[in-house]
Amino acid sequence: MNATTISSSDLSGLAADLLAARVRVAGPARASDGTVEYRHAGAPAELVLDSGVPRRSLKEFFLPPTEPLFAWRTGAGGRVELLEAPLPADPAVVIGARPCDAAGIEALDKVMGWDYRDEPWFARREATTIVSLACAGFDRSCMCTSVGLAPDTTKGSDLLLVPIGGGAFRAEVVTAKGARLVAAYPARFRPASGEAEAEAFRKAAREKVAASAPPAADPLRPWLDAHFDHPLWREASLRCHGCGACAAVCPTCHCFDIVDEPETVGTGVRRRNWDTCQTPRFTIHASGHNPKNDQPARIRQRVLHKIVIYPKKFGEMLCTGCGRCSRACPGGMDLPEVLARIAALAGGAQ
Amino acid sequence: MNVYQPFTVRVAEVTDETADTRTLKLEFTDPAVAERFDFRAGQFGEYSVFGAGECTFCIASPPTRKGYIECSFKSVGKVTKAMRELNVGDVMGFRGPYGNHFPLPSLYGKSVVFVAGGIGLAPVRCVIWNVLDLRDKFKDVTIVYGARTVADLVYKRELEEWGKRPDVKLWTTVDPGGETPDWKGKVGFVPAIVEQAAPSARDAVAVVCGPPIMIKFTLPVLKKLGFTDDRIYTTLENRMKCGIGKCGRCNIGHVYVCKDGPVFTAAEMAALPPEF
Amino acid sequence: MTELRELAKKLLAEGAAKVVIGWEEGPRGVRPAFATDAAAADRLVFDARCAHDLAPYLDRRRVHVAKLGRPAVVVKPCDARAVAGLIRETQVKREDVVLVGVRCGGVLADPEAGGTLSADTIADRCRTCDSRETALADHVVGTPVEPLAAPSRRDARVAELDAMTPAQRWAFWQGELARCTRCNACRQVCPLCYCDRCMADKTQPQWIESSPHGRGNLSWHLLRAIHLAGRCVDCGECERACPSGIPLGLITRKVASVVADRFGHKPGDDPAVPSPIGTWRSDDPQEFIL
Repeated sequence: MNATTISSSDLSGLAADLLAARVRVAGPARASDGTVEYRHAGAPAELVLDSGVPRRSLKEFFLPPTEPLFAWRTGAGGRVELLEAPLPADPAVVIGARPCDAAGIEALDKVMGWDYRDEPWFARREATTIVSLACAGFDRSCMCTSVGLAPDTTKGSDLLLVPIGGGAFRAEVVTAKGARLVAAYPARFRPASGEAEAEAFRKAAREKVAASAPPAADPLRPWLDAHFDHPLWREASLRCHGCGACAAVCPTCHCFDIVDEPETVGTGVRRRNWDTCQTPRFTIHASGHNPKNDQPARIRQRVLHKIVIYPKKFGEMLCTGCGRCSRACPGGMDLPEVLARIAALAGGAQ
Repeated sequence: MNVYQPFTVRVAEVTDETADTRTLKLEFTDPAVAERFDFRAGQFGEYSVFGAGECTFCIASPPTRKGYIECSFKSVGKVTKAMRELNVGDVMGFRGPYGNHFPLPSLYGKSVVFVAGGIGLAPVRCVIWNVLDLRDKFKDVTIVYGARTVADLVYKRELEEWGKRPDVKLWTTVDPGGETPDWKGKVGFVPAIVEQAAPSARDAVAVVCGPPIMIKFTLPVLKKLGFTDDRIYTTLENRMKCGIGKCGRCNIGHVYVCKDGPVFTAAEMAALPPEF
Repeated sequence: MTELRELAKKLLAEGAAKVVIGWEEGPRGVRPAFATDAAAADRLVFDARCAHDLAPYLDRRRVHVAKLGRPAVVVKPCDARAVAGLIRETQVKREDVVLVGVRCGGVLADPEAGGTLSADTIADRCRTCDSRETALADHVVGTPVEPLAAPSRRDARVAELDAMTPAQRWAFWQGELARCTRCNACRQVCPLCYCDRCMADKTQPQWIESSPHGRGNLSWHLLRAIHLAGRCVDCGECERACPSGIPLGLITRKVASVVADRFGHKPGDDPAVPSPIGTWRSDDPQEFIL
C-alpha cells in the first residue's frame, strides 16, 4: 500500500490549504456544550482529533437528517412544475473521521446503489474525500472487531492516518481519491516513515478492542435464522423506550421517510427525513395492521437488519461496531451484550 | 432528475367503486413519457398529491392497455383523502413502475385461477385483464371474488362483463349477512367458494390476493385441489416510502417487498419469517 | 441496598408484584431492570447513578412490559411526581402499582462516569429539588439524606437567557435546535409524554412539520414545552436522553418558573392536587386574552 507521512502541523496546514481553496473541511469539533461532533470547520484549529467518539456518526454528511428532493409549483390551469433539487456537489474533505464511521459510509453504498441509484447520496460521496484517523480503541462499547472490522480498518477511507508518535501520522493511501489529495498538496506530506510504529499502534488497538468486544457476529446467523421467535427479543427489549436515539447516532441506520411540506399556496417541497424502525408508525399499514407490532419485534428488526438481513442481501454487515447505540440509549440497551447473549445461546444450542 | 422525482399525471377519469373506494385513470402529462412508459402486471408505483405526500398502490390497469394507468384506493390516510379530492383534469405525481411482476409469458398455455377478496381485486384485476386481452394464449380462466357485503364489491361493471363472457368462469360471493335481496352470487367466505368452484389444478396456476386471513385459509384449499406452492402466486403489501429498496420499511426478513416483490409464490412466502 | 432487595423479594414472593422495576448494574453503569424473581431482585441497586425515571415503563402501551404483570416500581421523589402525574391524568390507577420510594439526595450529572455525589457532581436539577422522599409510596427505603447545597447553574443560564434580547435568544435556540434530528428520544423517555397519538405524529391536519429543519424543530420543541407546562416533573430524562446534547432542561425549567409565577403551581407527588392545564379557575390570570 502506498504510504506517506504527515505531521500534526502539516495536517492543520492541509486543512488551511483546503479551506483556502474553498473546499469544505469537516471533522470532529466541539459543540456549544463542549461535546465533540462532526462539524464543518471554519478554521483548522476547530478540528479536535482523537478526542473521543463524536456524538453522531459521519452519515449526516452524506444523508442529512433532512434534505429536499424537489419542489413543486402549481401554475395556471392546474399545471404543476417540478423543480429538481440541485445535486450537492461541493467538494469536501473530512479530516479525522473514525474508521468505523468511514466503514459505515462504504457499507451504505450498497443499499444506495442497488438497481436504483440514490443520486444525492452518490453526489456527496463523489465530492467528499475521507481522511480517517486510526482509533486506539475507545471504550467497552466498541465492537468493531466483532463485525469483521478493526480500529484501523481502511474500509470507506480514502486516506488512513495512523499515529506514529511525535505528533506525526503515517498516511496510508487507500483510494485514488486519497492519492489525488496527497498529490494536490505535496508540500504537506513527507516520505513514508514509521511503519513499525504504525504497526505497533494498530496491533495494540486491535487487541484493546477485541479484549472487551463480544464474539464475532457472523457465525450467529444460522442461530438467528432458526430462532426468529426466541424469548430473547422480549427480554432484551424490556428497557427499550422505542425512541430513535440509536438510529440517529448510528453510522449505518439509513431508513428514511418522505414527506411533503407545503410552503405557500400551490408551492412546497418534498423532503426526505431520517426515520427509525423503532416506532410503530414506521411499518403500520393504512388498515391499522402492523407487521412489527411491538417493541420486541422492532428491536429484533434492528438487530437482524444489521447482522442478518443486510449481509444476506448485500454481503456485508450493517454494523461497524462503533458502540454509539449503547452510549446513546437512555434505557441502557447494549448491542454488545445482546450479541454476547446470542453467542451464548448459539453456543449452547450446538 | 433524482429517482424520487415523479412524473406528473393528469386525472382522466374518476370512478367510484364503493362508498369509500375510488379508481383514478391517469394519463402522463408528457407525451414522451406516455410513449415510453411500460410495465408488467403486478408492478406498483408511488402515487402522490403534491402537498399531501406519496402513497403506494399497484397499477390496477393492465400493461396491454397503453397510454394510461389506473389505481384504486380506499380513502384512509392523508394522501388517499387528498386523492379523493381530485377531479378530472387535476395533476398528481407518479413514480414507477417498481417491483417484480407476475411471470406472464411463462404462464402461456396454462389455466389461471384468480382468487381475490375486497380491494385485493385491484392487483389481480391487472392480471385478469392482461390475461383476457391475450385470451387465446391461456386455457381456462376462473375468477373467485368475494367481499364483506355487496356494497364492498369493487369493479362491479367489470364483474358483470366477466360474468357474461363464455370464456371466463366467475364466482362472486359475499360474507354471510352481506347479501342483498337481489344478490345472485354466492354467500360464504372466499375459501369455501374456492372449494365449491373446485378449479382443476392441471396445468394451472393460482393468483391470490386479499386480506391476510383470506389468504391464510385459501392456501390449504388450493393445496387440496392440487396446486403446489410454486404454482400459487400472491402479491404482498407492506408500508413503503421509497419503493426502490432504500428506505427500510417493507422488508420481511431479507426480502424487500418493494424490490424482491410484491409478487411471491406461496413457496417463497413460506420461507419468510412470520412477520406480515 | 439490602433493604431494597429484601423488599423486592418480599413483594415478588407474596405476589404483591409480578415485576419490580428498578435499577441494576449494566454494561455502562446502572440501567433500568425488570426483576421477576429473587435472583434478579438481588441484583437491584440504588445509588446516585440511578438517574433514569422508571415511570414511563408504567405506560400500558408498553405491552411487552405490561405482560409481565402487576408492577412495583422504585421511585425517587421526582419519579414519584411522574407517577402522581400519571394517576392525576388517569393513565395509571394507584391501586394497580406498588410504589417503592427511595430516599434520594440527588443523582449524578454524569451517571455513567460514576463517582460520589458532591456539590460539583450533582445533577443540576437536583440542586433545586426540595424533596428527599415521597409520601406517595407504599414503602420507603434507604437512609435519610441531607440536601446538598449547590447553586443551580441551570437557573443561572435561564437568567442569562432571560436577560438576552429576543434576537440573541432566537439565535441561541436556533443554534441549539439545529442539532435536533427528531429522533423523539425526549418524548419517548418522558413519563408525561404518553399520548397515544402525539400531535407531532398527526398528519390530518399536520400540526407540526416532521422535518428536522429550523421550522419543524422549533415547532416541535415549542409544542412539547407548552404541553408539559405545569406537568413536567423535572426528572431530567429528556435532556439526558437527547443524543444530540440539546439543553432541553433550560426549556422545561423556564416553563416551570412561568407556571409557578402565573399559577402558583409546582407539580408534586399528590395526585389529588390538580394541575393548572387540567383545571379552570375564575381567578386564573388571563390578561393575555385580548
